[in-house]
Order: sequence, then C-alpha cells, then structure tokens
Amino acid sequence: MKLIRTLAIVLTVWLLGITALHGGLNLRWFAKRTGGSAGEKTFGVGFLPVTCHLTCPVTHYINKEMEGRDMFQPMRFSGWPELKEMFIGRPKDMPAAFILAPMAIALREQGVKIKIVHLGHRDGSAVMVHKDSGIFQTGDLRGKTVAVPGRYANQRLIIYRELKKAGMTIDDVKIVEMPPPDMPAALLSRSVDAITSGEPFMGQTELDGYGRTLWQAKDVWPGFISCVLAVHEDAIRDHRPEIQRLVNGIAASGKWIDESMAHRMDAAQFVATNYYNQNPRLLSFVLSKPPDRVTYSRLKPLRPEFEEIERLAKEAGILQGTAHFEDYVDDTFAPDPTTVNAPKFEVKK
Amino acid sequence: MNRRVLHILLPLITGVLFLTVWHVAVKMSGSDIFPTPRHVLDGLGELVRQGLLLKYVVASLFRVSWGFIAAVLVGVPLGLALGWFRPAYAALNPFIQILRPISPIAWIPVAILWFGVKDTAPVFLIFLASVFPITVSSMAAVQNMQQVYLRAAQNFGLGGLELFRRVIFPAALPQIITGIRIALGVAWLVVVAAEMIAVNSGLGYLIIDARNAGKRYDLVVAGMVMIGLIGLVLDVLVRRLEKFDEVRWGYGQR
Repeated sequence: MKLIRTLAIVLTVWLLGITALHGGLNLRWFAKRTGGSAGEKTFGVGFLPVTCHLTCPVTHYINKEMEGRDMFQPMRFSGWPELKEMFIGRPKDMPAAFILAPMAIALREQGVKIKIVHLGHRDGSAVMVHKDSGIFQTGDLRGKTVAVPGRYANQRLIIYRELKKAGMTIDDVKIVEMPPPDMPAALLSRSVDAITSGEPFMGQTELDGYGRTLWQAKDVWPGFISCVLAVHEDAIRDHRPEIQRLVNGIAASGKWIDESMAHRMDAAQFVATNYYNQNPRLLSFVLSKPPDRVTYSRLKPLRPEFEEIERLAKEAGILQGTAHFEDYVDDTFAPDPTTVNAPKFEVKK
Repeated sequence: MNRRVLHILLPLITGVLFLTVWHVAVKMSGSDIFPTPRHVLDGLGELVRQGLLLKYVVASLFRVSWGFIAAVLVGVPLGLALGWFRPAYAALNPFIQILRPISPIAWIPVAILWFGVKDTAPVFLIFLASVFPITVSSMAAVQNMQQVYLRAAQNFGLGGLELFRRVIFPAALPQIITGIRIALGVAWLVVVAAEMIAVNSGLGYLIIDARNAGKRYDLVVAGMVMIGLIGLVLDVLVRRLEKFDEVRWGYGQR
C-alpha cells in the first residue's frame, strides 16, 4: 500500500517537525534556563488584562527585576468563565486568582473552597455613554440598555445602587452581559446605550473620542471594590509561606504604584508591553486622568464593605446570602496598609 | 488563453475585486474602527517584525496536527469496525450521533476542568471536532461497499483479517479520504474556538488577544486572513491524496 506508507512517513516527519518547532519557539524547550534554580516550579496566579488586576503583573515584574526569578507564574485569561474554571478545576496549577468580589462570594456559597485574602484595587470603574447621547444623569438611563461584564460583576451592583438612589429599580433599565473587551465597539455602534466595566476599556472610549463619563465609581461609591485576590483553601493549608509572600508582594507593589506618577507611568509601560499586550498610551491614560481614577493602597479586606456588597447582591438577587464575611474572607495574610512599604525599585531607563 | 494561465488569473481578479470593495466600503462608511486591507497588511508586518507570526502559525499547526492525527488514528479503525460489526453499530451509533452535534465551544469548560490551560486542552477540542466526521464517513464507507467485492473475495476463500486488509479497507479508502478531507477543514475551523482557552500562542489566540488590546481590529482581521490562507494550503495538500491510485479509482471521471 503505497499511499498508506507515504502518508505514515510524511505525517510522522511532519508531527516531529512541528512539535520541535512549537517546543522551540513557544515552549522554550531548548532555551538555557537563566537565574533561579533550574526546573523550580512556581504556582500560577490568574488575571485579566484590566487595571483592577494591575498589581498582579507589577508584583511579578518588580520581583523578577529585583530578585532575578519568578515569584509566581502570572496566567493571563481573556474572560471570566475560563479563569473561574481553571481556578475551580485545577487549583494545584493555579491556586490563586484575581476575581470579581461577588463571584468569589457566590463560589463560596456553591461550596468552592475559596478565600478572599486581599483586595486588588479600589475604584477604577465607570459608566460610559456615547458622547452624542442624551444621557446626563442616572435618571436618563430609564429604558436604556446597559452592558455589564457579568452577573457577578460589582459593576452590576453599582448600577443597582445608583438606580435605587435615583428612585428606580433594576427593571427600569435593560441589562445585558458582555465581555469588557467587546464593550467599546458596542458603544461606538450604539448597540448599547451605556457600558460599565473595569478600566482600561472605559477609558478607551474616552481616548478614542466617542465615550463620555456618566460617572466614575470613585465619585458615587468611594472605595469601590471590583476585584479581589482569592486563594484556594488547599493552598492556604499547604503553602502558607508562599501565599504570604504573594500577598505581601501585592500589597507592596500597590503602594509602589500609588507612590508617584512616575511609577504609574513606568507601570503602564512595562505592564502594557510585557503582560497586557495593549497600547501603553491606554494604561497611561487611565492611570493618570484623573490620578485617583483607580488606586492601589488600603487593600486589606474590611468587614463593613463586604457586608454592603453581600446585602446589595442579595437584594439584587445575585447571591443567596448564605455565606458571610468569615466564610469567604481570610484576612490573616493582609498586612495593615499603614505598615506596608513600597519596594525600593526604579525602572532602569 | 490556455487553461493554466486562466487558473491563476481568475482567482487573482476575484481577489483584487474583493480587496477593492473592502477598501472602498471601509472608506465610505467613515469608520476608523474597522481596518482597511492596508491596515491589515501593516498589522501582519508588525507581527512578522516581532517574530510573532511564525510562532503563532506553528502553535496552531502543532495543535491541529496532533488533534487531527489522533482523530484519524481513532476514527478510521472505529468507523471500520462499526461499519462491519452490526451489533457494535447498534450499540454505539446512537451515542456517536448524540455527541456529534455538540459544538467544541460547549466542550471548552470541560476541557479546562480536565486538562487545564496547557496545549492538551485545545488538542482535545480539535480531536473532538474532527473525530466524528472521520468515524461516520469510515462507517458509511464499509456499509455502502458493493456486495460484489465481498462475494468475489469470499469465492476466493478470503476471510478474517485478510479479507479486511485486501478487500474491505481498499474498497472503503476513497470515501474515508473524503471524510478525512472534510474533517481537516473542520479541525482547522475550530482552531479559534480551541484557542479561546487561555493558551498564549496561536492564530486563534491572536484574534482573542487583539480584542483585549483595545482598538486592534487590524490584528483580528490579520488572524482571520492567516487562518484562511493556511486553510487553502492544507486543502491543496490534501487534494494531492486524490492523485494516488488507491484513491483515484473511487472517484468519478469528471
């Protein structure tokens, strides 16, 4: 059988060739290991390319620059479902992740062994409308379509909270769920009337000239928390020192980002290039205009704030209300924010 | 004009027309979000300069190769067996028909839970997408085989494995190859969906990553263009299989 023999040979050669190429180009099989002990396995930390998760790459970068090795493996995802599935399904590979606060609480209610150990950021969300639209205050949203990142997004709760203040309910607007990266295009084509998610996707509409801020999270819900650092309980039990190092790193790099505008611009540059694969101009914009659009100090989880999220989410029908602060938070790792010092680190120019 | 020149010239004219319409349509709509062919070309150039294009093409081809070849190795024997043994067919066919219409996208959560976000997960999804067309076409090939081959073989006293190797398999081969060709198209088609899992290379990843990168729809379209062009090359390669005698006898004369 000439055909079968030819096929078998060609395909074997092809498979070996493409595997070697893939291994060399993408998996770095043949690269010499530099720094650190060879083959040292670090754990993964999941994140999305949004400013709410900025401390994840910043911690990784600063640590790598200062100590010459990986503290952890930053694992970038494109959407919430994949990140959540990896966290639930493979906690050994990825025991920690930046995740939406209500989603973490919901997972706890559903029996996932998840603990919030630290916050990721404060503020850094907004509601954007099209610049030509007639929406100038919350009341104008009546009957309009608002895109939110997901059922368990805190951005949904902030809408709920603002509507309530304006004497309306969630039924007065039409809520649609949409991945944040798709939101700018949806607003531009005016297939939705308003969008809300974490930065930089809100700032992007402003930068590109068709979005207008209805309100910033910091102005209507000061200290707004969208994402938190969550860790699997097995890792807390088995790898306490590593988790402590991670939390210290996140807290310290948060301080570092907030220390000066120069640090913010440096972070925008190295995170956009090495981790987010976005235009650095976009991150520079949302990290500076205004400077308190998103902040990274005061990241210890506090009971009253989570109780408010819990209460709102229960009212909005997102949470059952069966899990409470002590169930889903382990605040023993988080240092007192006043004692945290920024690392002595400057980007080499 | 002879046929050869025409075969090159006609697709070229279609291509130029298509690109012109694309360019004019973008200009007329006044959109600065959707890229013109020129933007896409610049985007591709940027990827080449960063050395990413080769990496991504290799990554996608790697995943499709393993997923697809695994599907052939499982699908062809399984299909032949199901086509030959009636009870096996009765037992498994409904199950296969239930699994067959489920989109690989629906399998993404399962793939992440089982395999994490390493290369195994997309390979698994591509395997799933291509194994069913191969199984079903191999099965049908055996079932639709002309009885006269079988009777002749039995008259010559062939049986068992020998019958399978000398008669059934060669008789079914042309139809199996057709199934494999369709399956390769499907395997390549699902590469974007398969790479929606958080792998960090590949043409599908390029598209998803570009959506995260703000206004980089030139890269989204660049990814689409590359997938299309490689799909064309794959189809041309598989068509070469038809040149083999073992396959050619099974096709009509046109």
